[in-house]
Amino acid sequence: MSGIEVKDVTVSYKKKVALKEASLNANSGEIIGFIGADGAGKSSLMHAIAGVLRFKGEITYDGHLYHSPKEAEKIKPHIGLMPQGIGLVLYDTLTVGEHLQFFADLRGLKQDDAYQKYRDRLLHMAGLSAFTDREAGKLSGGMMQKLSLICTLLHRPKLLILDEPTTGVDPLSRLELWEILDTIRKEEGSIILVSTAYMQEAAKMDRVMLFDEGEIIARGTSGELIDSIRPYVYEKVPCPENECLTFDGRTYALEALNASPAEPTLEGLFFVNALQKKKPLSKIEMVERSEAVEIPEIVMEAKGISKYFGDFVANDHVDMELKRGEILGLLGANGAGKTTFIKMLLGLYPIDEGELMLLGKPIQSGKDRRGLKSKIGYVSQHFALYKDMTVRENLLYFANMHKIPMNTALERIRRYAKELGFEEYMDELPTSLPLGVNQRFSIAAALLHEPVILFLDEPTSGVDTIARAQFWEILKKLKEKWGISILITTHYMSEAEYCDRVVLLKGGKKIADDTLANFYTSNPNAETFEDIFLTYYRSEK
Amino acid sequence: MKINTIKAYMVKEFMELWRTRLIVMVYLMPLMIVLLFGYGIRMDVSHARILIIDNDQSKYSMQLVSKFEHTKYFNATISQMSEKEALHSIKQAKTDAILIIPSSFEKRLLHGQKSELGVFVDAAFPTRATTIESYIQATIFSAAGEVAAGMGLQTKGTIVLNARALFNQAMRDEDAIVPGLIGLVLLIAPAILAALLIVKEKEKGTIFNFYASPLSKGEFLLAKLLPIFLLHSVNIFILFLIAVYLFEVPFRGSFMLYWLSSELYILISLSIGMLISVITKRQIVAVVLTVVVTILPGFLYSGMLMPISSMEGESYIEAHMFPVMYYNHILYDTFLIGQGIDSSKIILYLLILLGFLLFFFTSGVLLLKKEMK
Repeated sequence: MSGIEVKDVTVSYKKKVALKEASLNANSGEIIGFIGADGAGKSSLMHAIAGVLRFKGEITYDGHLYHSPKEAEKIKPHIGLMPQGIGLVLYDTLTVGEHLQFFADLRGLKQDDAYQKYRDRLLHMAGLSAFTDREAGKLSGGMMQKLSLICTLLHRPKLLILDEPTTGVDPLSRLELWEILDTIRKEEGSIILVSTAYMQEAAKMDRVMLFDEGEIIARGTSGELIDSIRPYVYEKVPCPENECLTFDGRTYALEALNASPAEPTLEGLFFVNALQKKKPLSKIEMVERSEAVEIPEIVMEAKGISKYFGDFVANDHVDMELKRGEILGLLGANGAGKTTFIKMLLGLYPIDEGELMLLGKPIQSGKDRRGLKSKIGYVSQHFALYKDMTVRENLLYFANMHKIPMNTALERIRRYAKELGFEEYMDELPTSLPLGVNQRFSIAAALLHEPVILFLDEPTSGVDTIARAQFWEILKKLKEKWGISILITTHYMSEAEYCDRVVLLKGGKKIADDTLANFYTSNPNAETFEDIFLTYYRSEK
Repeated sequence: MKINTIKAYMVKEFMELWRTRLIVMVYLMPLMIVLLFGYGIRMDVSHARILIIDNDQSKYSMQLVSKFEHTKYFNATISQMSEKEALHSIKQAKTDAILIIPSSFEKRLLHGQKSELGVFVDAAFPTRATTIESYIQATIFSAAGEVAAGMGLQTKGTIVLNARALFNQAMRDEDAIVPGLIGLVLLIAPAILAALLIVKEKEKGTIFNFYASPLSKGEFLLAKLLPIFLLHSVNIFILFLIAVYLFEVPFRGSFMLYWLSSELYILISLSIGMLISVITKRQIVAVVLTVVVTILPGFLYSGMLMPISSMEGESYIEAHMFPVMYYNHILYDTFLIGQGIDSSKIILYLLILLGFLLFFFTSGVLLLKKEMK
C-alpha cells in the first residue's frame, strides 16, 4: 500500500513560520485538496513534501522516510511537482513537442511505442495535439497550464503535487484539466495533492484541508466541512458589525440569529473562520469624489473593433457599450481576446479596424486620448507596481505621474489606505504582502486621479476568497458613490453574478451580451453562471 | 551518471541559446572587447609635437635637432621664439613639449662643462607626459652617445643611458595589450554566461524542473556548464587568430600550453559564474555582479596598464588574489617570450590556477543547493 504520511511538518523562512506542525495522511488514488488564503502555508507544505524545501518533522512516502530535501532524493523519481504560476516551469522558446521530449529525457523515460501512445493521449487530452510545433511562450495561459500539467504527468508520477494548477485558467480548460487528473488517479492509483482557489473544484476532491496562518484548521470531505459550518449560516439579514459578516446573500454569525438558515458553501468556511479567529475584515468605506464631474450617459462605445496579429485574429469586429455607473463583466476562455480588447481601449495596442468613442469623444489617434488619461483608471493582470518601492512610495509615484498636487495626493492616499484597509502595510514592499493587499493598493493607485472609467484585467486571479469578497465590496461602493463605470475581466464565474451586464468573448468574437437577469431567463436550467458560460461555449462550436 | 538526461539538458541549453540569440553574445562580446580595446588603447606615443628653440645654432646643436627630426616619435618644429611665447603655445595645446638649447651649448660641451637643456612637457595627461619626457631624454642621450663615439671618447659614466627610457623598438602596443585582452575576455564572457544560464532558470521558475527531478547537483552543473565550456573553447582559437593575424602579435611559445592553460582559465571563469548564480536571484543582478568582479581585476591586474612587478603594497597583494595575473603571465610568455614549461614560474602559475579552479568549483558545488531558499 503506497501512501503518504506527513507528521508535524514545520517550515520557516528566516524568522517567519510559514507552516506549523502540519500532519496528514493520504492513500493511493486519493485527491486531497488544499484551500486557504494566500500565505496560509499550502505551497510550503507542497514544497516540503516534494523535497524542494527544508522543513522540520518527518514525511514517509511508500516506506521511505525523509526529513530533508537531501533524503527525499530517492523518492524524486516518483514525484511530479507543478509549482504555482502560469507557465512557470516552461521554457518560452521551446515548442510543445520539445518540452515533452525534454521532460521525457529529464526523467530518463524509455521512448518506446507505449510511451509514444501515452504521450499522444496526454497531448490529446490537453487539446494540444495540433500545437506541438508552437513555442510555449506563444501559448495562452490556459494552454500553458495544460502543457505544464502533461509535462508533470509524463513519467506517470505516483505522487502528484499540483499548486494552483487552475489559477488563471478558464472554466472550460479547468474541466479538461480535471478530467485528466481523474483519469490519472484511476489508472495509475496516484496520490494527488492539489491546491485551488476555486471552491467548485474543492468540492470534487476526496478530502479537503483548510489552511489558515500556517495551520490546517479543518479537514474532511467537502460535505463534512460544509456541515461543520451549517449552524452559522443564515439568509441575508441586517446584523451588528463585528459579530457577523454578510456576503453574497448570506450572513455568517457565531451567535444564533433570528433568521432562517441558508445552505452553506465552501466559501463560507473562510468567513466563519474569520469570525472564529476574531479577525474583523477591514471595513470598506468610500466617500464621494472630491471634485464632482459630469459623466455622459454612455462612457465607452466600440463599434466593430478588430485586432490582427499577423494571420491571427485577436478581436473580430467587437461591438461594446459601457454605460454610466455600470459594472460590465468581460468573460471568455484563455486567448479569447479579453486583454487585447482592453489594451486597445487604453491605446496600448493600435486599433486595426473599427470606431471607438470614449466619453463621447471619437478616438482616432493618441492626441485624442491625451485629455482622457485623467478620466481613465487601469489595473493590469500583473499589478504594475514597483517592487523596490514601499506601498506609500508607489502611490506617491503614481500621484506624481498624474500631476496631482502634493497635498491632495497625500490626503487621498491617507484616505484610500484607510477606506480600502491597507493602512498598516503602507511602509512595506509589495513583494512581502499577500496578493489581496497588493490588489487593493493597485486599485487605489488607479483611483488617485478619480477616474470615471475603470478597466480591470483579471484583478482577482490568485486572490483568496475573503480578499475577493472585499474587492467586490470596493467596486460596489465605487459604483454607488462615484457613479464610476467598470469593465472587468475574470475567470471566476461566481463573480459574473456581481456584474450588471456580461459580455462573452470566444475566439475574438462577441458571442453574447446581456444583463445578468436576462441570461438566467434565457437559460432556465442554469444554476450558476458557470453553467451558462459552458452552454454558450459548447453550443457555438 | 544519466548520460541521456545530461544530453537532453544540454540540447535544451543550445536550443535556448540559439533561439534567444544569446549565442551572438558568446562570440560578439569577446570580439568587440578585443577590437575596441586593441585599437583603442595606445600607451605608446608617436608624433608628439615638439618645439625646439635652438639658441646655439652650432654643429652639435644641429645634430641634436636633426635627431628629433628623424624619428617617428616626434614632429619637431624649429623656431626662434622666446621662451615665454613657447610656453604659451603649450598652454594653447599647440605643442606637446619644448626643448630649449642654450646659446653656449657646444662650447660648454667641448670644455667638458655642465650644460643645461631646458625641457618642458605638457602634463595634462600625466602618463603621456612621462612617456614623452623619457623619449626626449633618450633622444638626447643617444645623440650625445653618437657624438662621444665619433670623437673617440669614452662615455665613462659622464653620459648615462637610462634603461627605462629605451625606445622599445620591438615592443609595439599591440604586443603589450592584445594578449592581456585575451585574459580579460576569457575571464568575463564565460562567467557571465554561466551565471545567466543558472539564474535565468531561478528567475523564471524553471529551476523547479531540476529541484523536483532525480537529477543530481553534479549532473545539473555538468549539463549547464559543459555547453558554455564548449562554446567558449572556440573563442580560444578565434582570439588567437585575431591576435596573431589581425594585430600581428608574434607567437613564440607553445600553442599547446596556450590552449590548455586557456581551457583551465575558462573553467575558473565558469566556476566564478556559478558562484555568482548561487547568491543572486535576478539575471540583471547576476550580470552586473559578474562584470564588477571580473572586469575590474581583469583589467587592472592584467599587466596591460602596469606591470605587476612594479606594483607595491596593497595592489601587489590584490593582484595575486585574482587568477588573471597568473594566466596573463603565461599568455605573455607564450606570445612574446616562449619559455614555456621550461620556466619553473610557469609551472607554479599553472598549479596556482588549478588551485583557483578547485577552490571556486568546490565552493560553488557546495553552496548550490537543490532546494528553495
